[in-house]
Amino acid sequence: MKLLLVEDEQKTSDYLRHGLSEQGYTVDVARTGSDGRRLALEREYDVIVLDVMLPGEDGFSVLRGIRARKQTPVIMLTARDLVDDRVHGLREGADDYLSKPFSFLELVARLEALTRRGRPQEATHLVIDDLQLDLLGRKAQRAGVRLDLTAKEFALLSLLARRQGQILSKATITEQVWDMSFDSNTNVVEVAIRRLRAKVDDPFARKLIHTNRGMGYVLEVRPEEAG
Amino acid sequence: MKRSIATRMAAMFAVAAFIVFSVVGVALYRILAWELERHQRREITTRLEFMAHMIGRQLTVERWANVRMKLDAMTPMDGSTQFWVIGPDPRFEYGEPSPELRRRLLERGDGVIAVGAVGAGQEERPMTILTQVVPAGGERPEVRLTAGINAGRFLDTQRFFATALVLVCAAGTVLVALLGFRLARLGLSPLARLSAEAQAISPENRAQRLRPQLHSNELSDLTASFNGALDRMEHAYAQLEAFNADVAHELRTPLTNLIGQTQVALGKDRPAAALKEVLQSNLEELERLRAIVNDMLFLARADRGAMAKNRERASVAREIGATVEFLDVILDEAGVSVKVSGDAQVPIETSLFRRAVTNLLQNAVEHSDRGAEIRVEVEPLPTGGGTGAGAGAGPGAGVRIAVKNAGEPIAEHHAVRLFDRFYRVDGARESRGGNHGLGLSIVKAVASMHGGTVFASSGGGVNTVGFTVSGGGGGPESPQATRPPPARTVDGA
Repeated sequence: MKLLLVEDEQKTSDYLRHGLSEQGYTVDVARTGSDGRRLALEREYDVIVLDVMLPGEDGFSVLRGIRARKQTPVIMLTARDLVDDRVHGLREGADDYLSKPFSFLELVARLEALTRRGRPQEATHLVIDDLQLDLLGRKAQRAGVRLDLTAKEFALLSLLARRQGQILSKATITEQVWDMSFDSNTNVVEVAIRRLRAKVDDPFARKLIHTNRGMGYVLEVRPEEAG
Repeated sequence: MKRSIATRMAAMFAVAAFIVFSVVGVALYRILAWELERHQRREITTRLEFMAHMIGRQLTVERWANVRMKLDAMTPMDGSTQFWVIGPDPRFEYGEPSPELRRRLLERGDGVIAVGAVGAGQEERPMTILTQVVPAGGERPEVRLTAGINAGRFLDTQRFFATALVLVCAAGTVLVALLGFRLARLGLSPLARLSAEAQAISPENRAQRLRPQLHSNELSDLTASFNGALDRMEHAYAQLEAFNADVAHELRTPLTNLIGQTQVALGKDRPAAALKEVLQSNLEELERLRAIVNDMLFLARADRGAMAKNRERASVAREIGATVEFLDVILDEAGVSVKVSGDAQVPIETSLFRRAVTNLLQNAVEHSDRGAEIRVEVEPLPTGGGTGAGAGAGPGAGVRIAVKNAGEPIAEHHAVRLFDRFYRVDGARESRGGNHGLGLSIVKAVASMHGGTVFASSGGGVNTVGFTVSGGGGGPESPQATRPPPARTVDGA
């Protein structure tokens, strides 16, 4: 996956390049709008991350330049939390936008959505270690024991299972499970995860649901961990 | 360039005075002219009638000499009065009029008074003349007797009077303008005082107000509205100051933690696990900061008057239901139940609406005892504008969402400030319960983005907090009654 990052701020571009490389992207960085446009037009990228506030030529102008010739997916980063910015950007042909401050996990999630990478496989049956999920029948069992889950608990568990090994932020979980697309200051996810753990993990020696402090939650098999 | 009010008023006074003086002047001139003419006519008529009577009795040429003598006697040397008699017989004539004058005298009708130049050459002068026909008698034919009096002095009087009038008018106009200017300045002096007083008000003494008792009655409305504006400004200013202080406080604590923790961590060589621990803790603080900043940006947007853009007609009860479902685990943990009553279809931006309801319910849960019931009451508001389609939730009607929970009564002065940013009834700022004191401010922002307001009241052991949403002004009113069910949820329960 080739990704072009157009960002003038040194620190931001450094950590984004580092982080995105670790996520498996091949990252090129452009520091100015004109460099960004030139690279975007010369080379082939799977996705472009474009900052709005650039010295000289701004992000919207770069976007227009790219859109004149290419349909590479573009995600815009804006420091201005203006609806106008977003409307403007989307009308110019951006595929998505994130306003600063944004979380890195959020950016990764949006990038995956744009590149159609990491799409959960549309399986009807998932098996992770001794956990078995029947997505159609909405049944879960572990080590042969039927788990008695509420509808939301099942939704949460199946989300984690379909994205196994991937850290899911609170925001992603809230949006996917409850269709709440805003930053809620509630601890709904914490409580829901705790309750889910009580049913899925607590009775068993090997834990599957893990907390990544400050990041989110992940479901995966970690053989060395004792609990 | 802007002219002063006093100058304008002086100019207006001058124009008014000029008009009045002109009308009066013209009238006076007319009266004078009429009076002079009357005077001349009377003077001339007396002489004419006397002479006509006398001529009437002289029937022969011999006797005509008497007429000549009499007329000579009556003609003063200064030429102020003159007589002419003309007729077909030159023997019965007097005054030797020139052919030109003769022609003009014959043109005059009987008894018509006229002013014209009489005489010839240097003798020519303006005269007022009146002619009377004396019927024939004896050997004397019919003759025309004409008397003329010198009109020069009357005309001079009239001319002098006109000149004097024009000068007096001009002087009067100038005088009125000057007086008007002084008077306007005098009359406007309360304004100058008001302005001086207003100038004394600066950000340093914001509490100072204009004193209405010092100013004229006409200015009391102005002082009142000015003071009202000052009140609002002061309130906004104070709120801003408090807000800045709160922001500084809210951000300072986590920032201090971040800096300190990081410095401590880096102060010594530590195992990776310990460093990871610090980073994780930092991340938590940073997430909190991010949430605060995002919320404040959101509030700032609402403050700037941003409106919800993607409003779609939706069932309010259904949206509240989705929110209750979202908060289900929290409600369950707190041992609190929620009962929703009423419904309405209004255009709302669902994510904003759910956010507001989430915050309201969260607030209610925090202030409810275990086992309590939170009631959410949805009431359609009567249509604001024309009472078109019946009562209730007709198109364009808004809706009122009230969240009620039993709890400690909220004092009136707390209730009004409940929606202020970072405001906490207990005065304590430290609340680690996820909510950083912007929850109800966000409700207010969402309400205003939907053209609604917020309200809070306390009574009978029940606290009510809620907001309204206007019915009009939504985006395209989709024909379907409700928004399609959320499709992305995995189970769709």
